[in-house]
Amino acid sequence: MKSVRAFETYHPLTLFAFFACALVICMFTLHPVLLAVCYLSGVGFYGMLAGRRKLAASLARSIPLTVLIAAVNPLFVHRGETPLFFLNDNAVTLEAILYGAAAAVMLMSVFYWFKCYNEVMTSDKFIYLFGRVLPKLSLILSMALRFVSRFKRQYREIDDAQRAMGMYASKSLTDRLRSAFRVFSALITWSLENSIETADSMRARGYGLRGRTSYNNFFWRRRDGFMLAFIVLTAGAVIALLSAGRAGFGYYPTVTPIGFSVYDLLCYGALTVLLFMTVLLEMKEAVRWRYSLSKI
Amino acid sequence: MAILSIQNLSFTYNGANRKALSGVNLEVEKGQFVVVCGESGCGKSTLLRLVKKQLAPKGKREGSILYNAQLEGAGNREQGTGIGCHSEQSEEGPSFHCALTDVEDMDERVAVTDIGFVMQNPDNQIVTDKVWHELAFGLEALGEKPDVIRKRIAEICGFFGITDWYHKNTSELSGGQKQLLNLAAVMLMQPNILILDEPSGQLDPVAATEFIATLLKINRELGLTILLVEHRLEDVFPLADKVVLMNKAEILLCGSPREVGLKLKETDPQHKMRLGLPAAVRLFNLLGAAGECPLTVKEGRDFLERTYMPEHTEISEERPDGKNRAAALEIQDGFFRYARNAPDILKGLSLKVYENETLCVLGGNGAGKTTMLKILSGVKRVHQGAVRVWGKKIKDYTGGSLYRENVALLPQNPQSVFVKDKLIDDLREATALMSLKREAGDAEIRALCDGLGIGSLLESHPYDLSGGEQQKAALVKMLLLRPRILLLDEPTKGIDAYSKTVLSDILKRLKAEGKTIVIVTHDVEFAAQNADRCAMFFDGRIVSEDAPAAFFAGNTFYTTAAYRISRGFYKNAVTVEAVAELCGRNPKKL
Amino acid sequence: MDKALLKKTIAFIVILALIPAVIALGVVLFRDRRFNIISIAVALLACVPFFLFFEKKQTKARELVVIAVMVALSAVGRLIFIGIPGFKPLAAIVIITGLAFGAEAGFLTGSLSAVLSNIFFGQGPWTPFQMFVWGILGFAAGLFYRRQAAKTWPALIVWGIASGAAFSLLMDIWTVFSLDGGWNWARYWTALIAGLPYTAIYMGSNVLFLLLLFKPISKKLERVKVKYMLFDYGETRGKE
Repeated sequence: MKSVRAFETYHPLTLFAFFACALVICMFTLHPVLLAVCYLSGVGFYGMLAGRRKLAASLARSIPLTVLIAAVNPLFVHRGETPLFFLNDNAVTLEAILYGAAAAVMLMSVFYWFKCYNEVMTSDKFIYLFGRVLPKLSLILSMALRFVSRFKRQYREIDDAQRAMGMYASKSLTDRLRSAFRVFSALITWSLENSIETADSMRARGYGLRGRTSYNNFFWRRRDGFMLAFIVLTAGAVIALLSAGRAGFGYYPTVTPIGFSVYDLLCYGALTVLLFMTVLLEMKEAVRWRYSLSKI
Repeated sequence: MAILSIQNLSFTYNGANRKALSGVNLEVEKGQFVVVCGESGCGKSTLLRLVKKQLAPKGKREGSILYNAQLEGAGNREQGTGIGCHSEQSEEGPSFHCALTDVEDMDERVAVTDIGFVMQNPDNQIVTDKVWHELAFGLEALGEKPDVIRKRIAEICGFFGITDWYHKNTSELSGGQKQLLNLAAVMLMQPNILILDEPSGQLDPVAATEFIATLLKINRELGLTILLVEHRLEDVFPLADKVVLMNKAEILLCGSPREVGLKLKETDPQHKMRLGLPAAVRLFNLLGAAGECPLTVKEGRDFLERTYMPEHTEISEERPDGKNRAAALEIQDGFFRYARNAPDILKGLSLKVYENETLCVLGGNGAGKTTMLKILSGVKRVHQGAVRVWGKKIKDYTGGSLYRENVALLPQNPQSVFVKDKLIDDLREATALMSLKREAGDAEIRALCDGLGIGSLLESHPYDLSGGEQQKAALVKMLLLRPRILLLDEPTKGIDAYSKTVLSDILKRLKAEGKTIVIVTHDVEFAAQNADRCAMFFDGRIVSEDAPAAFFAGNTFYTTAAYRISRGFYKNAVTVEAVAELCGRNPKKL
Repeated sequence: MDKALLKKTIAFIVILALIPAVIALGVVLFRDRRFNIISIAVALLACVPFFLFFEKKQTKARELVVIAVMVALSAVGRLIFIGIPGFKPLAAIVIITGLAFGAEAGFLTGSLSAVLSNIFFGQGPWTPFQMFVWGILGFAAGLFYRRQAAKTWPALIVWGIASGAAFSLLMDIWTVFSLDGGWNWARYWTALIAGLPYTAIYMGSNVLFLLLLFKPISKKLERVKVKYMLFDYGETRGKE
């Protein structure tokens, strides 16, 4: 059963604004607190979207990688004032390890937020957004999406037809590869020849007339306005504070202490509210449906 | 006054030396349902395409195709048609400046909206990945505002009953649904003339009937002018206001269905076109009867009852019983599914095919008939049960031995057989597989192709062949493997009545050569004519099997039109010829 | 032809002018010098002029459809050969399209293939780089579309190797920026070397696909080009 989702019901524009902000901020900072917020919210949101099992599977793969990146960093960077030990006459410093860990976590939060993006921004939302700026290209994408499902089916059909003639019927790797090439080549002919009728159908229905408009199924609701304002406000605050040098953090030569000034706290707070909002929304929706289901 | 007036139209394709159309005259009145029929290659598609400006083929055109926009209250359109003129002026000549315009000179935008066009292949016409986007496509092109588009889509979805699909991917739809979507997408642009080029050619009979019913609804409820090219005339013919019969670039007959049915007698009795007509008309023609020509099954029954005494009611059927022969193919209790967690498609299927018989497997769409052929041809394996070819387990055929001089499958879409850019190269592939020398192989190719009448096409690109030719070419490729068992998947799909009889002759010949033939089909008439045995496939298994006469005479709904006409009068006449023969034996009523 | 060339020139000037502007802005705005963000922005921006030009001009329905077909084929090709890691015909198809239909069609096929294929395989920070790299590959191939020399087998091998290298070279720049915030040659080399087996397979598969597919696909494309009068940049260009 697909779980009920809340965040994805917002307007694509709102969603896109959110992901753009989240990803830029993720890539922006190496501040431990902000990093932790980015990482945990990204992982948390992905878990809400994809379910526990998928999350566990992906963590099992990503955590070792994170550790590896962190551990390997001192090999490239020899800065820092706290040497732990020496390797080939080069100091392996605590700072370098910490920095590596931070950079690795940053990479991972970017990956997790992209994973969330892939779950939420389905192809139709993407094509809609893309089409607002580049209508013709988005039409090509929409056509290509349709072709992909057709071509996949046709590939199987050609493949079956060829195998039923005993062409490359053996299971050896070379035969399989040659057969795949042959069928792929036949598919190319088939697709090019048949696509011309698609073009005819476009022309018959007026493609190429001046003043094309674009139709969509997305409605801007009041809550989108609120949400967008919220995103702009919080993300704007974070970016402004960071640009102004607040919540700054350095790893070299020594790790600077984490700041707790009003501005720093404001920055942490704003980012936490922005990113964890998604997790809260999903939780609220889950609870709401469980409650209403039990009433039914 | 005619909404479309085609005058003395001739057309030659660029680079061709033969006219595709010659001296065609046709008047289409507003609100008429016009059916155009004829053998493939007779020029009917060219005629239709010439009427739609955007699709008009390139070539030399003479004569005129005049469209009368004025009839549809064109006052509010922003086109340069000028002030409306009176019908008297539509007599002759190229001097119209008013509502009558040649389609060539039509404003691009008007040509898009006023003349709607639906093509044969449901898949190729769909442009986008979502149903809603497909519906909106035309109106977007016209620059309508989203609100207007939404309102019109809502309307059309209601009319066509397709509201449930609105958010679906176009690839999820069935063939019939796709064609309905294409129709709806064209209807959204509110055309004045709807042109359809064999729209049901690729559909199964049930979907085709539904589609035709929708067309009729559009014609009757909206008064829309419809110009339809069709092969399957059983449903359409009686409904038409006007039937146009084309032959070799010319119009042979034109008139109401009854007139055409009657007049056809006066033309060549061997005329190919007769084959495609409804059973009642064909019966009437075969008997050389006089009076009013029956069009529908009901009228056919009335005609039989009125005219003939029921003395001889049974026709003896001499089809050999093959059951004492060896089993060529056998499935025992076969189960199959496409994926581990998918439902079973074949559920305990048991089937025996005897040597040198023609077995037709009939059944509804998506029942698993094609899957069965994939099992029989070794492309897929059952996960339970046994499959034997000539008594030997199919698994035990290794290294292509199942396919050389053994089993061959002709797929539904012959295009999936070709992989080369020249037909001869494709066929040589097969002879190479048979380890023939080049010359010997070519000789065999030539012999087979000449036998099927495609000898002149060997140097062509397979995709430049017509549908019927492609099928023959694909069949040649199969036959080059010298199969003893031939499996055919929907061989009559999309080909006209004449090509069907050609196919039927080919199959008879192959059978005489000793081949075993299994045909999966929706086409009950074809099965009745060609099968030694028919089997009904339902819900993953064979539910009944019998000789065709007994099989179709045992069915009430799923049976031939000839039997539906003769049921109650005659016991087992399932083809038009059989009914005609029985009629001939019976004395006429006075 | 002249006009087309002019447009291309303008496109390059725009890219050249915009990219430093973005970098400068990035440096001013982001004190931390977050080159990872800037590099993504640059990759995206580099695609913009091509897209805008294409949007502005009239394109025949048939040309649009053929591009869509090539884009879809590159994604389907990736699905077909999914069993073998690094083995995908995408770059080959993009280059062949460029060589057959010219620079613009090449760029669009490349960049849209990146977008489409990532709709199935997941968008990530790599998307903009892929859009740019494959787009430029198609574009570069398109510049040679009248030159027979670019279509011989040694040239195809060069195309294959170049296309295999280009993506790794660029993507690893991003990796270095992400991990170091600035430039670090050691890290860059290590990343390249670590990715070498994959890159090598990728290069090999590109070369293989190019050699195997170039002739058949060009023939097929040429056929539709003649049969349906596509991408006709000669004097007969006009209304369809």
